[in-house]
Amino acid sequence: MAPPTRPAGSAGSRPPAQGPGRVAHWTASPSLRLVGKRLLMAVPIVLGVSVLTFWVLDLIPGNAAQQLLGAEATPEQVAALSADLGLDRPAVVRYLDWLGGAVTGDLGTSLVSGQPVTPVIAERLAVTGELVALAFVASLGLAVPVALLAAYRPNRMFDRVSMLVSITGLSVANYVLALLLVLVFAVQLTMFPAIGFVPLSESVVGNLHAMVLPATAIAFPLFCFYTRFLRGDLVDQLQGEDYITTARAKGIGPWQVLLRHAFRNSSFGLITVVGLNLGTLLGGTVIVEQIFALPGMGQLMLQAINTRDATVVQACVVVFAVVAVLANLLADLLYAVLDPRIRYGSR
Amino acid sequence: MAVADAAAAPALAGTDAAGRHRRWLRTLEVAVPSAVIVLVVAACFLGPLVLPVPPPVGGSVLESYLPSFSPGHWLGTDPNGNDILSRILHGGRSSLVVAVAVNLLGLLAGGTLGALSGYVGGAVDTVIMRVLDVLIAFPSLVLTLAVAQSLGASRTNTILALAFFSIPAFARISRAATLRLREQPFMAAARLCGTPGWRVLLRHVGPNITPQLITFGMLGMGIVMVIEGALSFLGLGIPPPAPSWGNMIAQGQQSLSATPMLVVWPCAALFVTVLAFNLLGETLRARWSGR
Repeated sequence: MAPPTRPAGSAGSRPPAQGPGRVAHWTASPSLRLVGKRLLMAVPIVLGVSVLTFWVLDLIPGNAAQQLLGAEATPEQVAALSADLGLDRPAVVRYLDWLGGAVTGDLGTSLVSGQPVTPVIAERLAVTGELVALAFVASLGLAVPVALLAAYRPNRMFDRVSMLVSITGLSVANYVLALLLVLVFAVQLTMFPAIGFVPLSESVVGNLHAMVLPATAIAFPLFCFYTRFLRGDLVDQLQGEDYITTARAKGIGPWQVLLRHAFRNSSFGLITVVGLNLGTLLGGTVIVEQIFALPGMGQLMLQAINTRDATVVQACVVVFAVVAVLANLLADLLYAVLDPRIRYGSR
Repeated sequence: MAVADAAAAPALAGTDAAGRHRRWLRTLEVAVPSAVIVLVVAACFLGPLVLPVPPPVGGSVLESYLPSFSPGHWLGTDPNGNDILSRILHGGRSSLVVAVAVNLLGLLAGGTLGALSGYVGGAVDTVIMRVLDVLIAFPSLVLTLAVAQSLGASRTNTILALAFFSIPAFARISRAATLRLREQPFMAAARLCGTPGWRVLLRHVGPNITPQLITFGMLGMGIVMVIEGALSFLGLGIPPPAPSWGNMIAQGQQSLSATPMLVVWPCAALFVTVLAFNLLGETLRARWSGR
């Protein structure tokens, strides 16, 4: 189904001479080619982020050695410890050394605790991952039905109320919301713990109980954002698109038009913003983790920045970047699943 | 289902009345948030000069933790005996200054990059957009924290770091708007007249994309005020003796259960201001997209 206008030279309808069989095999599945292309595009982004982080961390005066030894250390002591930690080598050498380890899954050892970083990250990522997953499930699970109901009869009471609630919710900073939740539900009503974390392995109920307030603090603004976004897109589709008119003319009921036609098309936009959010959100949990004393990535990164533990900061940032890039990739692949035009598309 | 009933509520009676009602609503949508913004700006910048409020710092410990509505201290005092109303007004100044500066810088830099990217296209477009992709994937908090750590927490450093990370969003909006313009007849006419590229960008593209960028800037005001609050909350924005809504909230958090009003007042100030900017931004954005 390759269109004839594809520029020559790209791995298109005419495979290069040296490996016709293999190229033909790859071009056979447009979805696979899409995955490959997106993965290739992701590599420079992750590399760019890691270089940028390394460079920024290098710019900060005072390294981990200085921080570890305290203010009254002599320059000789600092220099000796720096040499011990390998901090005296040129930045390029240290970066390449780090990169060599990182591609094999070894993110180095913490400059402060001397422990390998990878297992620490895995442990912290589980906490943050759970928090974010709960927030996403709650916010999307609520936002989709509310947006559908709002778009079903735009500008009526339900729509207006939900839009007012959501713009209000969008204006509440998550730390403000977190503190208000603590004030009401932990201090006044003592329904939930104000701080603390219970590992999932210890008690599932206890874990969820401790996660309710932090997850709500993250989920509510997201819920508001998704509701507004999806409702707006649905209304746009319903008002302006020919296929909606066609569907209505065929005599399809309003709910069917909304669900099967408008929602399916609007889901693309929603998937895009969810993909983008997932990336930025991991960085945004820092404050919520701080307020609720959750041992997640954000807390780890904040501590590492304060102790100048460059390896840990570097690892956190790269993990955030990889997750962000993978989330966007996943969003792109979901388009391909949902939209045949992209699956068989000309690009 | 109660929700479905609410959705099916009867329409406003009479088309004429409904039309008038709608026009009123359209006016109110802009007027109310604008009025709130003007009020907040006036209160923060003129309030301390006109109202009989004590200075925001240097209070006496003898007057600490006064409750709200105490004589001389309308909103009470904080642990250091400073007047909360005064701190909120002065903190609002820094919040507003930071938000305006960040959005202006972001708008100028991002708008220029995006317009250039969209207008020139090709390799320039690819390079600019890929670099911005890296910036988007980079957790901005890290650089902001790093800047605060290395150069010291100050208002200027906060502005620069936040402005840097507002560039990609402005650039994307500006690029999308420029791409839409590219096919317009007046752009073709300008090109056919032999107008140089920079002149097209300055005289034709610029004026056409600016309203959309300013609209986004309104939403950006809210975003920046929230992030600035977050930084100050973590102790890395406006340095503590000077007031800011973020560091007031952080200070109040220490004694949340005993004196919740220390948190509630700055939270309320932040919320009302951000809400006003969001409402105005959303209304303008909806009008632009012709919804």
